[in-house]
Amino acid sequence: MSLMKSLGASAVVNLPTAAVTATQLHHHTHSFPFLSLPQHLPMLNSTTTSISWRTTTSVRKAVAAVDSSDTVEKEKESTKTYHFVVANAKFMLDEEEHFQEQLFERVRLFQERNMEQDFWLVIEPKFLDKFPNITKRLKRPAVALVSTNGTWIKFMKLRLDRVLLESFEAESVEEALASNPVDIKFEKPDKWVAPYPKYESGWWESFLLPTTQNQET
Amino acid sequence: MATEMMGLLKPISKIGYYGTTTRTILPQRVSTIIRMSAATTTATKGGGGGKNKKGIKETLLAPRFYTTDFDEMEQLFNTQMNKNLNEAEFEALLQEFKTDYNQTHFVRNKEFKEAADEMQGPLRQIFVEFLERSCTAEFSGFLLYKELGRRLKIFSLMSRDEARHAGFLNKGLSDFNLALDLGFLTKARKYTFFKPKFIFYATYLSEKIGYWRYITIYRHLKANPEYQVYPIFKYFENWCQDENRHGDFFSALMKAQPQFLNDWKAKLWARFFCLSVYVTMYLNDTQRTAFYEGIGLNTKEFDMHVIIETNRTTARIFPAVLDVENPEFKRKLDRMAEINSKILAIGETDDIPLVKNLKRIPHIAALVSELLAAYLMKPIESGSVDIAEMDPQLVY
Repeated sequence: MSLMKSLGASAVVNLPTAAVTATQLHHHTHSFPFLSLPQHLPMLNSTTTSISWRTTTSVRKAVAAVDSSDTVEKEKESTKTYHFVVANAKFMLDEEEHFQEQLFERVRLFQERNMEQDFWLVIEPKFLDKFPNITKRLKRPAVALVSTNGTWIKFMKLRLDRVLLESFEAESVEEALASNPVDIKFEKPDKWVAPYPKYESGWWESFLLPTTQNQET
Repeated sequence: MATEMMGLLKPISKIGYYGTTTRTILPQRVSTIIRMSAATTTATKGGGGGKNKKGIKETLLAPRFYTTDFDEMEQLFNTQMNKNLNEAEFEALLQEFKTDYNQTHFVRNKEFKEAADEMQGPLRQIFVEFLERSCTAEFSGFLLYKELGRRLKIFSLMSRDEARHAGFLNKGLSDFNLALDLGFLTKARKYTFFKPKFIFYATYLSEKIGYWRYITIYRHLKANPEYQVYPIFKYFENWCQDENRHGDFFSALMKAQPQFLNDWKAKLWARFFCLSVYVTMYLNDTQRTAFYEGIGLNTKEFDMHVIIETNRTTARIFPAVLDVENPEFKRKLDRMAEINSKILAIGETDDIPLVKNLKRIPHIAALVSELLAAYLMKPIESGSVDIAEMDPQLVY
């Protein structure tokens, strides 16, 4: 933050929004002025031109689901909403290298802020059976990014674009992330012109739910 | 005119594109003062006239800063007037920016100064220039977003990132006993006006190409640590995720404005901006091969990789992109780079300005003709699957 001083840009970092930590955000379910106008701009008529940004019903539901993971869980062990984006494995795990960077970045963030990880990768998820409209358009094997944080999944949809987004309810993480075992192997690209090596295959393993064998033992 | 077009996008681009027009503008007075930072070697250097003026070195940059139609921009965000706004998507973006992944990332250590002290000779000069240009580029992004942030809050979060980046680069300059006077830059800035639509195209490309440049350098240096001459590159991996997210924001903005994406005019503009950005980078970088070679990269290969990847990313949103993977495209770029060298060489001669201009004419004509030919190459139809006519055949 001290870097800002050299820029004389302190006004920017002093925005209240910038100070909100991710942990707080988790509990921040209600609408807030996304693009609201600062009060000190007199030329704007606040009633007609102000731009309030209300969360849609679906998002509110999604965020509420996230809340429950933190606070309500003990009182009431109920179903949770799991949001996901899905596409074929080649796209998710092999072609979109920035996707991997994002996941590791998010793991780093969660560790730095002592937050419990709420996102996983699932190879050939069983929940896909509930979505015939998705499966008929999906190359297999498929890989889903699943999270209880629907807002973030929405962002990931925007980033990845070539993915399908849906959500479902499940009573436990194990149930939500159940998968059909399948071996994932990608052919080496025939021409690799980047001035760096490709990311190692298998990077995704740390994002899978610890294997079912482990849980059984 | 051609050079003007190419200069168009320079200042909001990342990691110091070197504007082709920079050299010719040098004699102007609109300058950025690079000060020796106070506590360092000023006294020892001696010589010249004044005592404190001693270490002061003047460098002239010709940064272009942007402004836009703020009223129009505001209208675009008005939910009552714009039914296409996908609130959930913007909500998600806002959360992503607020998360502030890099809040504690930009912390310096001793390595910086040590590496800078070790760097001598021409490489040192090249590095200083790299830092200056990069800092100016980030800073111009900061100014634009900050201005927009006055009305539309989400821009403030992006200006936060840009300011952080610019500040970090400026701290880097202090390792070389220099500092960009950003306050002066701010005051002396000259605005170039762009309609919001063009800000969207240009800034989207600028952020995404910025991501690809940073990540490519980062990954290359990770694989080839012997070229890791200055620790700033180690920060690029996290740094460039900011750029990538900023690009996503403009992607969402454009999706909310289908008129910017769905007609033949939009396709022409999309191709125009792709070409401007790619050519600007290529011509600038091929004039600065020493920097890329200094960190172990082949300039042209690096640029082509960045162009191809940026183009693939851009195809997720722009309604048309260039066929940059067609070998003919690179051949055209190479010819442009050659012509550009000739134009620059004329500027270095002792001829009077009129003669220089006359000599340049045939080369500029040749450049324009290459540009036009590249522009008219058969494009690739593209776009987001979110707004494309939902093709039931599309398989994910």
